[in-house]
Amino acid sequence: MNDTGIRTIGELPVEVPPGRDLWPAIAARIVAERAASHASAAPADVARPLRGARTPLALFAVAASVALVGLGLWLGRASLPGLDAAGTGAAAGSTLLAAYQPGSRFVAERAALRRDAEVRLAALPPRTRAKVAASLQSIDHALRDIEAALGQDPANALLQELLVNTYQDEMRVLSELQTTGTVGQEI
Amino acid sequence: MPMSSADTATVMDFDEVLARQAGRGDARAFERLYRAHAGRVHGLCLRMARDAAAAEDCTQEAFIRAWRALPRFEARSGFGTWLHRIAVNVVLERRRVPTREEPLPPDPDALGELSWTFDTPVELAEIETAVASLPDGARDALVLCALYGYTSVEAGEMLGVAAGTCKAQLHRARQLLAARLNRGIA
Repeated sequence: MNDTGIRTIGELPVEVPPGRDLWPAIAARIVAERAASHASAAPADVARPLRGARTPLALFAVAASVALVGLGLWLGRASLPGLDAAGTGAAAGSTLLAAYQPGSRFVAERAALRRDAEVRLAALPPRTRAKVAASLQSIDHALRDIEAALGQDPANALLQELLVNTYQDEMRVLSELQTTGTVGQEI
Repeated sequence: MPMSSADTATVMDFDEVLARQAGRGDARAFERLYRAHAGRVHGLCLRMARDAAAAEDCTQEAFIRAWRALPRFEARSGFGTWLHRIAVNVVLERRRVPTREEPLPPDPDALGELSWTFDTPVELAEIETAVASLPDGARDALVLCALYGYTSVEAGEMLGVAAGTCKAQLHRARQLLAARLNRGIA
């Protein structure tokens, strides 16, 4: 008789996390739909044609960047042990109230983590190094896009949220890289 | 450690607060809801759709539809239940060609409540395979009622069938599962 199995249907796990983080794609769709609805709601002869035309396009571009970050992050996540497979809720939740404008301490800590990441990346096996580096590059690209879009529309709350979320994504990758520990181990 | 009723109430209230924030356009609040509910929604979609890629698509679509509908969300049934309804709709819409179902018992209302305890333990993979092999109607009812704890009435509403039909599908699922696992279900 098998004693290791389950006895009732109710013991089957109801939580089955998806194989990849679906949030970046969901966020990208939300941003794109918002941008489309703003664009369709705007009058044709707006007084500020440049801004009226550029903001939705910027949002589309940012949405695409965020989707790419999600893909890149997934590659990194798959290769780094110990990262929360169910997602990043705890980490995200703890920093959600961070100020939109990065403070000097954040800037300093981020710079230190990026320097440390360079050293740790160099010691990683090539395949893993390429994946993590691609994640960080995607994040850098997204940050540039978001900051450029914020330059056009500084009060855009959604862009501000995306900026914070992208910084959080970067911190997750950097922190995980720092705590990976066994440098040089194939992970 | 099991969650106390007070903790459960707190979680439910928290969901409601987040849902209201998200309904006002707060994407961070919606991400928190996604993080909290993605596993259950995906589990539901996976059992109903029986395909990993389809389940991920359905989960993603369910959250996007939820985002669109959030301004109209009313916390009568709880955010999780509301979200599950959306997910079930997405899966059902995806099944373009309904499978041929066998006839159900003539008087489902006469059927009693079911328990789902096997007479001997079953391996997780074995039972997942057996559940996946059930016909759509029986599997949907089993997943929603036996696994996710909805009543026949609630599951029937989600699936667009009468409660009696849902109950009959549950009985059918139980019979088929017992036969496929070669075990008694008490």
